[in-house]
Amino acid sequence: MNAALLTEEQNEALQEIANIGMGRAGRSIAGVFDEFVELSVPRVREARLDSLTEAVAGLIPEETLTAVRQGFFGRVRGEVIVVFGMNGCRDLAGLMGYGDSLVAADEDELLLDVANVIVSACLGGIAEQLSTELSVSAPSVLASHVPPAGLFGATREAPDGSGALIVEVNFRLERHSFACSLLMMLPADGVGAIRQALDDFLASF
Amino acid sequence: MDRNESCLSATDRMIDMMDVGVFAVDRELHVRSWNAFMVAHAGKGRREVLGRSIFEVFPELPRSWLQKKFDRVFALGAPSFTSWEQRPWLFRLPHNRPITGGVDCMQQDTRLVPLKNGDGEVALVLVCVFDVTDAAMLQRRLAETVTALEAERAEQQKLIARLAEAQEQLVQSEKLAAIGQLAAGVAHEINNPVGFVMSNFRSLEQYLDGAFALVEAFDRHIDLLPDAARTAIEKLKSDMDYEFVADDARSLVAESRDGLERVKRIVADLRDFSRVGETDWQWASVHGCLDSTLNVVMNEIKYKAQVVKDYGELPQIECMPFQLNQVFLNLLVNAAQAIEGQGSITLRTRAEAEQVVIQIADTGCGMPPDVLRRIFDPFFTTKPVGKGTGLGLSVTHSIIGRHHGSIAVDSTPGQGTTFTLRLPVRQAAAQSTADREVQAA
Repeated sequence: MNAALLTEEQNEALQEIANIGMGRAGRSIAGVFDEFVELSVPRVREARLDSLTEAVAGLIPEETLTAVRQGFFGRVRGEVIVVFGMNGCRDLAGLMGYGDSLVAADEDELLLDVANVIVSACLGGIAEQLSTELSVSAPSVLASHVPPAGLFGATREAPDGSGALIVEVNFRLERHSFACSLLMMLPADGVGAIRQALDDFLASF
Repeated sequence: MDRNESCLSATDRMIDMMDVGVFAVDRELHVRSWNAFMVAHAGKGRREVLGRSIFEVFPELPRSWLQKKFDRVFALGAPSFTSWEQRPWLFRLPHNRPITGGVDCMQQDTRLVPLKNGDGEVALVLVCVFDVTDAAMLQRRLAETVTALEAERAEQQKLIARLAEAQEQLVQSEKLAAIGQLAAGVAHEINNPVGFVMSNFRSLEQYLDGAFALVEAFDRHIDLLPDAARTAIEKLKSDMDYEFVADDARSLVAESRDGLERVKRIVADLRDFSRVGETDWQWASVHGCLDSTLNVVMNEIKYKAQVVKDYGELPQIECMPFQLNQVFLNLLVNAAQAIEGQGSITLRTRAEAEQVVIQIADTGCGMPPDVLRRIFDPFFTTKPVGKGTGLGLSVTHSIIGRHHGSIAVDSTPGQGTTFTLRLPVRQAAAQSTADREVQAA
């Protein structure tokens, strides 16, 4: 990926949209969980698809991770990956209506549910800023209980040089040890749509 | 909402006829619409369900969990999902395989989709139930096949490792047998000259004794000689330091005979030891095996370790002595290699009921637990590449196994390692005990 996917102005616009969107997302998640949610300032960057492992390295400083993916479509298409550390995710069982004794299948379902809430809220926030609607596909487990290097083990090999625009946000629930990272990924070959959407957004001021 | 079917619009009719379960619930989770799929599969007509809570219609639903799930859809205005992989079914509906069977009820993916009113508020939630029974069954069968294949592969890997071990053992014993033949030949060749040199030395000793007796007899009559001759003889004797020579010559001969005895013994041990190819059961002395192995490896040990023997009273045991030699060789060489600088190796033997117990303890570097766990694994070695095959202890283990004995190890890093072998005195008794255990298991 030689040329940058976005102009500096578009990049700033996306950063701004993500920031406002996440603020709204934080409020709706807080409403659902009845807990205060801490969100990091979204970071926009570009990464090559064949080096996604490096791109997510260090997001969650834990040895065992689970990742959930979810596709989204509408005016822009892409995928969202939510990376969970395994510490503290059981904390959420009560909030999400699960019993105390989680079996493995329940744990996966719990993380799918949590990911769906976070992804829906964040995409909703961003879609609203872009004055559009984004739909999500059903979430699925990308990798369960793997070391950070194994997160993308089950994905197909990316074609050389293909890249993506990544909007990265980190979540923490204030009163729990739970933390996760959300990566909204827009494939480089479909970036024309997001450019257009960003230009429309800029033109509306 | 409780409409006549004839009033349904074209869109409603399409939804009604879709091969997907579709129904809507309001904020109280009361059913507000119910399509033909639901009528057919739930076996409940519209009149029966419309206006009733879904928890009444489906009493087996996980209530508090599902309530929260719906709450989130209403609050967030975003869809929610369940997948058959985590939750094979949410609504208990009969499957479409009453004859061919294979599942307990319809496997399903579900979607809870918010329907917003004009103000953007979520007024209803549309529940879509997708029948994925066939895909799920196929997927499960695939997963089972993969699991079975993986298990089979693991089993094969184990077999391959065992085969490699057996092959290596074979090569090892062939090698030792070849060395044995060579050694037996060499031993035979050495034995002959050593035999006649020894017998020559015996004669030489007698001749020397005679010669010295003769000189002494002359000495007793030396005064009878004329002065000149006597002085010459005494000068000769003092020049050659006769007293010392006479004394030293005897001990030289004695030491040489001693040395030759040792050569004979080592040659004999080597010949014995190298008969590893022989797998006949014999009654043999464990001490004999230990001692002849010690003789063979003494060269490797003597500069590093003092060997302490603490032998008890042992009966002869039924064993393959040449294989036991190999066991002792492995353990002794390992013990010597574990010692850095100077240390000691203690050989302790005791008789215990119908067993003999042999301990080989060194004061070497010891092993950490993670190494200790794996020492009997074939090809596991801590020695540098090319130094060890990683088979010594694995072969040891299998030889002890063939003797229906046991081998245990106790090691403290920095302090040393003790191997404890237990061998039954009689094989027949041990064999039938082992068989009984197998049958009991």
